[in-house]
Amino acid sequence: MARTITLNHITKIEGHAKLTLSIEKNKVNRCELSSTEGSRYFEGLVLGRKYYEAHEMTSRICGICSCAHVVAAISAIENALGCKPSKQTKTLRELLTLGERIRSHATHLYFLALPDYLGYESALAMASKHKEKLERALLIMKVGNEMIKLLGSRDIHPVSATIGGWLKLPSQETINYIKENLIKLKEPAIKTAELFFSLNYPSFSTEGYFCSLKDKDKYAVLDGKFFAGGTEKAKEDYLSFIEEYSVPYSTANFVRIAGKRYSVGALARINNNQDKVSINAKKMLKKSGIKFPSLNPFHNNIAQAVELIHCIDEAIKICEEIEIKPEQLSKIKVAAGRGVGAIEVPRGTLWHEYTLNNKGIITQANIITPTAQNLLNIQEDIKSYVPSIFDKKKEDLIMDIEKLIRSYDPCFSCSAHFLEVNWI
Amino acid sequence: MIKPKQKLKVGFYGITGCAGCLLSVIFNEDEILNIIDIIDLKAFPFVKEVNIDEKFDYIFMEGLVADNENLETLKKARKNTRFLVSLGACASTGCVPAYRHYTLKENYEHLLFKKQKELQDVSPTPIDSHVKVDYYIPGCPPDKKEILTFIKKIVIGIEPKPYESPVCVECRKNGNACLLDQGKPCIGPITAGGCNAVCINGGFECWGCRGPTKDMNLDLMVKMLKDRGFDEKFISDRLTTFVGLKMPMIEKFLESNSKSAKLDTKFSGRKNYFK
Repeated sequence: MARTITLNHITKIEGHAKLTLSIEKNKVNRCELSSTEGSRYFEGLVLGRKYYEAHEMTSRICGICSCAHVVAAISAIENALGCKPSKQTKTLRELLTLGERIRSHATHLYFLALPDYLGYESALAMASKHKEKLERALLIMKVGNEMIKLLGSRDIHPVSATIGGWLKLPSQETINYIKENLIKLKEPAIKTAELFFSLNYPSFSTEGYFCSLKDKDKYAVLDGKFFAGGTEKAKEDYLSFIEEYSVPYSTANFVRIAGKRYSVGALARINNNQDKVSINAKKMLKKSGIKFPSLNPFHNNIAQAVELIHCIDEAIKICEEIEIKPEQLSKIKVAAGRGVGAIEVPRGTLWHEYTLNNKGIITQANIITPTAQNLLNIQEDIKSYVPSIFDKKKEDLIMDIEKLIRSYDPCFSCSAHFLEVNWI
Repeated sequence: MIKPKQKLKVGFYGITGCAGCLLSVIFNEDEILNIIDIIDLKAFPFVKEVNIDEKFDYIFMEGLVADNENLETLKKARKNTRFLVSLGACASTGCVPAYRHYTLKENYEHLLFKKQKELQDVSPTPIDSHVKVDYYIPGCPPDKKEILTFIKKIVIGIEPKPYESPVCVECRKNGNACLLDQGKPCIGPITAGGCNAVCINGGFECWGCRGPTKDMNLDLMVKMLKDRGFDEKFISDRLTTFVGLKMPMIEKFLESNSKSAKLDTKFSGRKNYFK
């Protein structure tokens, strides 16, 4: 007898997604993961707009990773114009991005992932028994948010970063204040990692590649080459190796490399760049008892927790080293050109590409988000994971599938959701 | 408005949007745990597995209507709640996704999703194009304290009121130098404040995400921008990026601007927005 499972509204993820699974004689016949997000066509909306307007508009793609879209769009446009930002500007962008990763990882780990493992329906329901954990999460989120607000003026859709520089520079006092706050996060971050090490993760291996940027001598954030399937590739050639294609059941494009699936995100970054994380993060990696590179997507939670430690250390280092000096925006010579921006953001590598005409007007745009890149891999993982849990009760089976989906921290960039299950 | 006898049954839902407004609720890090104590939080699918969708006193809705499924969710919410609160710019004005009405069709037509019936596009519209809205919390996203204040007010029975002065009032209080004086295309003078002029504080001109003020002088705003050297296409783009569908008289302005596409949607306009 065939069984069909349809998860119409998957909860505790960012966005609308749906899963249709059909099982016959302990074999998965059909497995379709689809984004059911209403389409917004940002790539069409920015056409005809000026080069300095793209980042403010594309920021609206995502609330939790808006800094990411701002910085990626700015880098792509700068590349198109041949504009080189100052070292200070780049460092501040990196700091902004790190702040975002701190708040995003804390939000995902505690609010979206943890309740599954502790047996609660939500983080809010944990308030009475696990108040300490929740307060820890909120503290980390607060410091991350405040950091973004102080640098970008708003914690969601920041505005101070712009083409060629910073509209309003933070003062040295602000940087010191951020540093003091980050220092307060060191212990909570270690506790977070210990908590996520202590959870029981299902054993499972994905067959997809792990892809991320790889930088020469640091844990890649803004720079580096794209490391895919054993080779390093230049960002601007991305169309030669990344292939986007659409499927009839999803409003999000699927993405693959040379016909193969791959994943991006914290686990991919740790797998590819573990030798470059901070000393504290390295110590914790060892303490996790897990050998990296790990092929188990559930370990993405662990990778996020370790990254949290790394990001805090790295951001403190930046705050200690930077000396803010007044700077004018770089002079921009408007010219026709094409530019690609790819940076590491909370959920993986984010791609923005723009073509400008000689008046600085955007004539072509392409954006590939981390979740779009992960979509195929999540779907295929579910397909190969389900046979190992066939004998579970249906609630447990669904819970395990949801856990797997959530471990990727997908961001269908919007939310919906109440779970409807059709079990035939 | 009277103080409710029991805890208010509240739900937070999202349709097509970026989750930024829902995150703004949670990002009240110091107060969120207290807030969920003073209300009866029945549904919040972004962070909750169990969401009881029966009867609500208040539903906060993030996002705009962009497909048939959105419409269904919205109508169900309207049916289930006494008061519907439009949370943020997408729900209130259609925000950037509804700017599609003011761009050229050939820019996005090839991207349209037509493959599956229930997911087919509907014209991107704010929620009050489809159902009655009782309150608006504008902004992309709203100030997170503003959301908190709204909840506190309904809990103790005080009618929440919209902030109606232009962005310039708070901007001046904050001691910012005027960006229009520096030749930047700031549309703060015709935009409702309540945001503490947060963008201008960060050196960035206002794009009008909170919607126009009741008594705005659009002609003068357009003239000020033209005087600063901005052309009609640029001006109409800026005026319509976030709030085109809620900008009264914008049709008239667009008619005189042959370079932009004409409005091809139902215009619900100011009457609705400032009820």
